[in-house]
Amino acid sequence: MPRNRTVRLAVLGSSVQRAAPSGFPSSRSSALKRRIVVGFLVLASLVLITVSFRSSALDSVQGTGATVLRPFEVAADRIARPFADTIGWFRGLVDAKSENEKLRAQNEALRRQLILDEGAIHENVELKKALNYIGPPTIADYDRIDTSVVANPQSALDESIVIGAGSSDGVQPNSVVVEPLGGPDGSGALVGTVDRVTSHASRVTLLTDSGSAVTATDVTNPHVIGAVRRGGGSSDVLILDRVPKTPVVRIGDTIVTAGSLGTGPLKSKFPRNIPIGTVSSKSSNDTTLFQSIQLKPLVDFSSIQTVVVLVPKGH
Amino acid sequence: MDGVKAALVLFVAALLQLSVLTEYRTFRTASIVLVALLSIALLRGSIFGAVAGFMTGLLLDTATLGTLGITSLLLTIGGFWIGRYGETTARDRFHAPYVSVAIVTALYLFGQLVLQFMLGEPAPAGLVAHGVPGALLLNLILTLPVYALIRRLFPPLELGDRIREVRLLG
Repeated sequence: MPRNRTVRLAVLGSSVQRAAPSGFPSSRSSALKRRIVVGFLVLASLVLITVSFRSSALDSVQGTGATVLRPFEVAADRIARPFADTIGWFRGLVDAKSENEKLRAQNEALRRQLILDEGAIHENVELKKALNYIGPPTIADYDRIDTSVVANPQSALDESIVIGAGSSDGVQPNSVVVEPLGGPDGSGALVGTVDRVTSHASRVTLLTDSGSAVTATDVTNPHVIGAVRRGGGSSDVLILDRVPKTPVVRIGDTIVTAGSLGTGPLKSKFPRNIPIGTVSSKSSNDTTLFQSIQLKPLVDFSSIQTVVVLVPKGH
Repeated sequence: MDGVKAALVLFVAALLQLSVLTEYRTFRTASIVLVALLSIALLRGSIFGAVAGFMTGLLLDTATLGTLGITSLLLTIGGFWIGRYGETTARDRFHAPYVSVAIVTALYLFGQLVLQFMLGEPAPAGLVAHGVPGALLLNLILTLPVYALIRRLFPPLELGDRIREVRLLG
């Protein structure tokens, strides 16, 4: 059966006038227009970086912007909270049994320790009073501003959080920030320091930032003095650096801020005895002068929900 | 109308990024904003992508109280580049969003590192290199639903025009 076919040729390219593409608005526009727009935006970005980095001229604008955005961030957080709580509940359920046994044993040990500590604290207060002793400031010497975390770190390079309290609440640059329930006795553990303040929000540089360091000591051995800073790698491990080989540091010891009275600019901005972490490993070798001490932070820096900002009394 | 839709999509993506995704360490390397921006740029072209990138960067830098302009610069270049790719060779190819997201994710992370280094801030390259595989994986996983959603909101405009490129004779 003969088939009737018409021969149709598809001709590509040269002889046919290609229709001007009308899809992309920007492909209609000339290359010049494209270059002008992108050039202007890149230039604007560079100007913003320069002004923002070298001066505080844009701080008020940025602060206002952050304040405007805050209700939206809070709303998004509230919408997502039930889902996050459900995930957390299931995660907690898996570890609950083993954790329960561990906590019972820990509770019993802490009870015994508490009885001893209460006597020592009472004795310490009496002796300080008798000697008229003036020591470094502690958390009790500061006012507390409770606030929530508005934005968490945004990338692997970012080790800062944004909190919902600013200069109008009394927050000042370099104020110390602690997590309310981070410490072993629920008294608070060190999170970092405030590095940027606007009227209703502040940015806190975490202790895990490469630029952060704090003088610290072992709560059971005050002769151990060193600097806590970020360890290598991508985890939140901290190291206690510059500790000579002589003082004994034991695994499990709690490391706290050393504080220092000092004078003028040498005065430590950290009150004494804020818990930082516990010693997870230590080692030393003949080629270095100092011990190598690793700490497990008491704060889970990846999931901070609320913080307390410490400001001098009567701010 | 596209501008309003893009602003809304990117605003919601930024809120998700700021308040939800970054709350978990695992998801901190993922960037739903970057994926959404690249999807929009791919479908709407270079100028649209560059302007959307600039505005989104400004929003993120404002919300995180970071140095203004850093994220804008990176997202402007990313949006423009992928917009050009969409206008020229990508043309509705299946792999285009995945290739775009993979390449720009890696360049974005190293771009941040370079800018921080140039500003004299701590720039641990090892940390970024360590985070790249995780960021690539998470962003590629996000690309599937995000691109599908954005393609619905911003249907490709050029489908009808492409047929004219081949003329049937005889």
